[in-house]
Amino acid sequence: MLLSAVIFLPLLGAILIALARHILGESGLKWIALIVTLLTFVVSISLYTGFDASTHDMQFKEERPWIEGLGISYHLGIDGISLWLVLLTTFMTPICVLAAWNSIEKGASGFMISLLMLETAMLGVFCALDLFLFFVFWEAMLIPMYLLIGIWGGHRRIYATIKFVLYTMAGSALMLVGILYLYFQNDNSFNLMTLYGRTLSHQNLLFMAFFIAFAIKVPLFPFHTWLPDAHVEAPTVGSVILAGVLLKMGTYGIVRFCMPLFPEGVAAYTPLIVTLSVIGIIYGALVAMVQPDLKKLVAYSSVSHLGFVVLGLFALNQQGVQGGILQMINHGLSTGGLFLLVGMIYERRHTRMIADFGGLSKQMPIFAVFFMIVTLSSIGLPGLNGFVGEFMILLGGFMSDSFSKVYTIIATTGVILAAVYMLWMFQRVMFGKLDNPKNQALNDLSPREIAVLVPIVIFIVWIGVYPKPFLSRMEQSVSQVLQQSKPTATVKADTPTLALDITTKEAKKIDE
Amino acid sequence: MTINWQLLMPELIIILTFILVAIFDLFDSLQKTFTAWITIVGSAIALYVSIDMLQIGTEGTEFSNMIQVDKYSLFFNVIFLVSTILVALISMNYLGRQDRRQGEYYLLILLATLGMMLMASGNELIVVFLGLELMSLSLYVLAGYFQRSMVSSEAGMKYLLLGAFASGFFLYGIALVYGGAGTTNIPQIAATLTGDAKSPLLLTGMFLLIVGFGFKVALVPFHQWAPDVYEGAPTSIAAFISAGPKAAGFAAFLRIFLDALQHLQSEWIIVVTILAALTMTVGNLVAIAQRNIKRMLAYSSIAHAGYVLVGLAAANKDGISSAMFYLLVYCIMNIGAFGAVILARTEDGESLRISDYAGLGFKKPLLALFMTLMLLSLAGFPPTAGFVGKFYIFRSAVESGQIWLVIIGAINTAISAFYYLRVVVAMYMREPEAELDFLAYPRTLIVAMTLAAIGVVLIGILPSYFLSPAQISTFL
Repeated sequence: MLLSAVIFLPLLGAILIALARHILGESGLKWIALIVTLLTFVVSISLYTGFDASTHDMQFKEERPWIEGLGISYHLGIDGISLWLVLLTTFMTPICVLAAWNSIEKGASGFMISLLMLETAMLGVFCALDLFLFFVFWEAMLIPMYLLIGIWGGHRRIYATIKFVLYTMAGSALMLVGILYLYFQNDNSFNLMTLYGRTLSHQNLLFMAFFIAFAIKVPLFPFHTWLPDAHVEAPTVGSVILAGVLLKMGTYGIVRFCMPLFPEGVAAYTPLIVTLSVIGIIYGALVAMVQPDLKKLVAYSSVSHLGFVVLGLFALNQQGVQGGILQMINHGLSTGGLFLLVGMIYERRHTRMIADFGGLSKQMPIFAVFFMIVTLSSIGLPGLNGFVGEFMILLGGFMSDSFSKVYTIIATTGVILAAVYMLWMFQRVMFGKLDNPKNQALNDLSPREIAVLVPIVIFIVWIGVYPKPFLSRMEQSVSQVLQQSKPTATVKADTPTLALDITTKEAKKIDE
Repeated sequence: MTINWQLLMPELIIILTFILVAIFDLFDSLQKTFTAWITIVGSAIALYVSIDMLQIGTEGTEFSNMIQVDKYSLFFNVIFLVSTILVALISMNYLGRQDRRQGEYYLLILLATLGMMLMASGNELIVVFLGLELMSLSLYVLAGYFQRSMVSSEAGMKYLLLGAFASGFFLYGIALVYGGAGTTNIPQIAATLTGDAKSPLLLTGMFLLIVGFGFKVALVPFHQWAPDVYEGAPTSIAAFISAGPKAAGFAAFLRIFLDALQHLQSEWIIVVTILAALTMTVGNLVAIAQRNIKRMLAYSSIAHAGYVLVGLAAANKDGISSAMFYLLVYCIMNIGAFGAVILARTEDGESLRISDYAGLGFKKPLLALFMTLMLLSLAGFPPTAGFVGKFYIFRSAVESGQIWLVIIGAINTAISAFYYLRVVVAMYMREPEAELDFLAYPRTLIVAMTLAAIGVVLIGILPSYFLSPAQISTFL
């Protein structure tokens, strides 16, 4: 019941707000939203504490028949991979509620309802173990996000939101066919657990049917064009959720479905995918470098960062995949944080152009500190979270048997480029002369805004300094995925232990 | 010979209701909506009886094997009666604004409903044809019901001409099938058609039947009448035409092709597959270009006929039950969508341009919510009924190996999202161009919309209650 509670608490909150919005008043419903999301987070912490790291099995399982006539069940469960994404979601949403506190001008009730429904859908995606249920949540996520961008977004919001929906739907159309095809290979059942371990036919086609849907969501180059539009037009909170959680649905899908279900597809397409992700890393970084708009810059940096994640996943070894998953969390924290910070100055100045700023560190010292930490985390400074993830991904890339070292070498330059565009941006915004009179009147962060940022910074440092609790809980699940994603399904699980040693050593090294 | 009247209870109740409406229509002192209430109560009783018979599993043939009452026909009765009740509810206030008696309106609706029921239970091509004509003739009149409106008269005229043409094709098809098989009884046709010999007479008859049905359920390329008729007809009648009659057409289509002409499956399946792909694609693509919401819904309903046809193209047991389930869902959501159009009325009539809906999301939240819900369901977003319906149809088609058709269908779903969401965009994301004074919500319309909304959400979340009956009610 714990997972159901976590998933549907936000929905209950949304219903409560919908019914009582006239009684509550604007601030009342914001408080309700905050309390509900915080409660969801608190409940989800018990998933962390109750999690058994020694097994790769799905935990907190719930299974009930739902639509028996079609072999559909209400089947939930999490392993060491989805655990983190669930926690990331429940962690980011209250932050978003708090961040949106004063920035929503019209229809605050609708905004909070959409946000809460979105949280339910995202959590459902990460917990569903039934393909139908997964697809339901996957598609259900679209509508609240569509409304968030379309109603509360910027000038070109309608274009951006329709593009977002159509891209996703086009991808999921093929996935739907893939899901149906799997159903008949799975004795007329959508149960994911019985699907694991079957040797499926038409794996290459099925792999692509799923992968394109996920690649659009990630987004992997060349499917990324919706992302800058969506990010730029979305309200701050929309961008945070989009970068923080939604994109991870794509990479999660790759780990949960593409890799373990279709090892032949993995083997066949790894070169292509790795090439695309390396292109994405470099291309995203280069385009980010020349962006005059802060939000666009961060959006393109997302393309680059998620290229790293995909590279790590397709390294197909313990370090790479664990690094990829950790980097999903890291990216959620640091890019989410960056969008929050950009949103904060946007609220003050109503511009996001880098050229309009300069010397802000003198006027807003607290803001500058937070911005610095998050920027460095995004670059991957040792001691902060981004380093651990990127290091493991690159290590995995070098050790990988599935692609040549050249890819990893090129990808490494992405790290350098990240430093270039992020630090250059930071320099132009924060340092220099404070000569714009509008900037001279800016207020520093309010206590509410500090409260929004502090939790993120805590985790940025925590993961950077002591990633072991994160890595240790995903070890077993990752090695299970790796074992399943080997083309010959009969390989025994002997390699992971070696790999585990290395990762823990790595963790210790970073500890010191 | 004794006739088992119990078998025909739903039909008899509708006839009785018809008589009552005709009698009470004579009393001028009664309220204008009185006949509507009789229609609703009568249909509700018939609905109850149908559901009851469906649960008991009443089956049997009557009138020398001409009428076949089985779970299949009873399930379709449920679809028709639900549509009739919803349409009567949305009509009441809509017509009330026209200063005239409404008796004949409901009489015709009841007659059309009776015709649909005959089509679903016809065990004989002639009975199917009779039902088809009973339904169509009533609809021609209903489409032109607003005599003073030019567009309405034009719609009625167009519908009559093209419909009569289609009936001609259909009848000719029946004649040729009779020539080929020597009988018009559906099970007997199936029994005679064995062996490899497929007479050209039979094949021609089969194609003519496809053309006839194609007109009636508006498949591309036989769909041209639909947008004009939907646009011109009273909106409540557009809702009616798009729902029940389409379901009735499919009821007969499925039964004739999967029972009587089962032997010719290898011949017709390719045609049906192509028609399905064409209908979905053309319907959705042309819908994108529409600026008038009734025309948009007309093209959308064409596209939906394409989805249902995928169920026929699957040509298996699940194909039939998924088509049945989808038709039920489709009727509810489509009538709901037209109902929302009726809701958005000003003193000058309905707001039919999509741009008129700008800003409604904040000005008329209830209307916008209903409309959004119906459109999301039509677009097939979970957790609405439309999603489960499409999912089941696609599932049955994958089962029979029609992967390409499913891919086309799935892509079409994505395309359709574009124009459905455009209305949502207008309602929630655009500023209104002109200040329109919308009328207050009529109560019966709100009841109808609430029922449709509950149906759409309930079937979406707990489809089993509706899906299992569909699964056990096929004739295969």
